[in-house]
Amino acid sequence: MRIGIVRGTVVLSAAIPEFRGIRLLVVEPVTAENLSKNNGDGGGKALIVADRLGPGTGQMIAFTEGSEAANPFWPKLVPVDAYCALIVNNLDYQPPAVKGNS
Amino acid sequence: MFLARIDGTMTSTVKHETLEGARLLIGQRLEASGSASGEPLVMLDTLGASRGGVVLVSTDGEIQRKLRGNNCPARLTVVGLVDFVAGQAV
Repeated sequence: MRIGIVRGTVVLSAAIPEFRGIRLLVVEPVTAENLSKNNGDGGGKALIVADRLGPGTGQMIAFTEGSEAANPFWPKLVPVDAYCALIVNNLDYQPPAVKGNS
Repeated sequence: MFLARIDGTMTSTVKHETLEGARLLIGQRLEASGSASGEPLVMLDTLGASRGGVVLVSTDGEIQRKLRGNNCPARLTVVGLVDFVAGQAV
């Protein structure tokens, strides 16, 4: 899973049937530098994440990517490749001081 | 699989029900040179990896499906604690 900050939601006017009732979040992944500063900035390339937990804009989440992102819909086959697995409560993150390697 | 350095931990109350009780670590993937690369990753651990330690991470979510149910979305799993890389202690 990667860590990201919710920037908003996406609403579709037409979608394939499998997508009915799935919330879609706009998520900005958080880089190591921004995570250690915990400044609310992301810095990664935004992506769309399927969601059933309901985080608000500005909240930090962790999202799964790849085929495992569709597991929560099992045994239904839903073509999502990113899924919001958890809303972050608390972080204890202290990478080694040397940066500039990300 | 790849090597990662553990930099922290995470707690979460609102999460997918299959992740209940999981130990969540934050780590960063390591390059061959030993430097960290990419964005921080959240991984599940049952071995008790500690901060600063180097671990072997598998991206196969099947093990978590076996342990936590078919609808578990977890993917990254700590499958080993690393002692030596190419003969050098980490």
